[in-house]
Amino acid sequence: MNVKKLAELSILTGIALIIFVVELQIPNPFPIPGIKLGLANIITVYALYHYRAKEVMTMVFIRIFLASVLGGNMMAFIYSFFGSVFCLTGMLLLKRFIDEKHLWIASVFGAVLHNMGQITAAIFIMGTGVIVYLPFLLVSGCIAGAFTGWIAQIAVHRIKGNDAKQK
Amino acid sequence: MKRGILTVILFCFIVSCAACADDNGNTLDEATSEFFAMNTYISVTVYGKDADNTVKSARDRITELERLWSVTDENSEIYAVNHSDGKMITVSEDTAELIAFALRMAERTNGALEPTIYPVLRAWGFTTGENRVPQESEIKELLNMVGYDKVRQNGNEIQILNNMMLDLGAVGKGYAGDEIAELLKENGITSALIDLGGNIQLLGTKPDGSNWRIGLKDPEGAGNVGILSVSDCAIVTSGNYERYFTASDGTVYGHIIDPVTGYPVNNDLLSVTVIAKEGKICDALSTSLFVMGVQKAEAHWRQYQDFDMILITKSGEIHITEGIKDNFSLDVNHGNMKVGVIEV
Amino acid sequence: MKNKVLIGICIAIFLIGVIGSALVLFAPHGTKVNIVQDGAVLYTFDLSVTEDQTLEIEYNGRTNIVQIENGKIRVVEADCPDKTCIRMGWLETGSLPIVCLPNHLSIEFADEREDLDAVIK
Repeated sequence: MNVKKLAELSILTGIALIIFVVELQIPNPFPIPGIKLGLANIITVYALYHYRAKEVMTMVFIRIFLASVLGGNMMAFIYSFFGSVFCLTGMLLLKRFIDEKHLWIASVFGAVLHNMGQITAAIFIMGTGVIVYLPFLLVSGCIAGAFTGWIAQIAVHRIKGNDAKQK
Repeated sequence: MKRGILTVILFCFIVSCAACADDNGNTLDEATSEFFAMNTYISVTVYGKDADNTVKSARDRITELERLWSVTDENSEIYAVNHSDGKMITVSEDTAELIAFALRMAERTNGALEPTIYPVLRAWGFTTGENRVPQESEIKELLNMVGYDKVRQNGNEIQILNNMMLDLGAVGKGYAGDEIAELLKENGITSALIDLGGNIQLLGTKPDGSNWRIGLKDPEGAGNVGILSVSDCAIVTSGNYERYFTASDGTVYGHIIDPVTGYPVNNDLLSVTVIAKEGKICDALSTSLFVMGVQKAEAHWRQYQDFDMILITKSGEIHITEGIKDNFSLDVNHGNMKVGVIEV
Repeated sequence: MKNKVLIGICIAIFLIGVIGSALVLFAPHGTKVNIVQDGAVLYTFDLSVTEDQTLEIEYNGRTNIVQIENGKIRVVEADCPDKTCIRMGWLETGSLPIVCLPNHLSIEFADEREDLDAVIK
């Protein structure tokens, strides 16, 4: 990993953390644990299409660890970890079928898989009863995933434009 | 084409959902038989193939055992032993096994379980319902005829002293429960609930795979103290709250007699519930642990640890062994009872 | 073409979520309630006959205070970070329990069929 890449990944992790902390301040209007926009995933989706699998995974795991520390909730780490493993596995596979212009589709799958991972973790911790959250999380995952994917798409477009100008 | 693919996908999802919903459909037969035997109300509920016939054979088996062990039936083997005038009596395999078990448990509990207490029980009137408080001298004399160590057993041959009496009531129902569970198992039944007048014997889980939910009756009032969620085990409670009488001076006497004093047990316990694999162990231990009182009962558990128990004390506490604590939930109306875990 | 199929799957997931949510929200329920911690039932009772009261439930030094009033139940206080359990309000639907993830607590309607199988006497 060269220095340039290291710096880029670090900046991306930093941006993701800032987005995460800002999002923490938005109160969750739904009384269901796990429902959130997950704006930090904009960075994940973006990174997925610009860096190698290993690099993205490292970045995401460092981010969720630091985010749990910043949020002061280590239980959240277990849920995020399961969610991220599901999400990254699915998106890395889907990447082969979905081109950059349809980022938002990959993002929807990513978000839904993330929620499924969280539910899996919750089943281990809380028992099978939590499965009733799944339908709500599917709905919120689709909406949030489409939204973050759309923003990531815009970001990709803008960054490309900038790169082109610089060249 | 596009729409076709979409429709197919949607269809697949809906079908798979419907398939899930149908998955827990229940194809097992259920059969229940309720009858009166062994001085109590018995109910056997069986789930499985050929449940009807199996339940009938269970009932036949209980009736058969009752005929062997009744203290009052003149044709029973126990009656023959009790009226042998000190002679050696040959009994069936079932009876010999039960007597051997009762004697073993009497030894294990240092006589807190006393299979020869019947004459004292009779003097108090608990066998007939015509209760009275015997004279102290009478009790003393009767206690001379009590003592499990005076019973001689050699295989199927039993000998007791003249005037002594064997009563297997404290272990008979438990033993019968084990026998029925065994019989059901041999007939391919994997799920059954046997209720022998409040002695519960469970075979496997409920047909849907979940634990049986068994209420634990409040010894002092209506309702349940809590609920046990368990499978594949037996549960028996003993206490002096089920059969008792109030003497003319207002004293309450219960039907469990302390073999040392010859008087009904009056200690710090309201009830003892024992949970173990075998009904006969539960039956024997619940009675004898009740005789022992809180401290000795807990010591006995620590020494053997082959069972779990729930002690309810007169001071409103519930002492529960660590092995069963996660299976017990307190009823909210008994939330003021203090629950303590008995640890090794 | 591939994208269309994937979008179709997304829509299907979304619809399943909507239908599932509706089923959960409008699930019928009885009056029997279980309070569960770490998979073990702590309390079990029938709301229709339970007197108004508050219960304190502890987990690793943290507590949730549960209130029972007029045959309804909710969490009124919790010293967990997210307070989701309080925001869930009264327990309303049959299949959506009040859950406090940090304190491993869940309050749910029991299956009405799940009556007692027997009583030990």
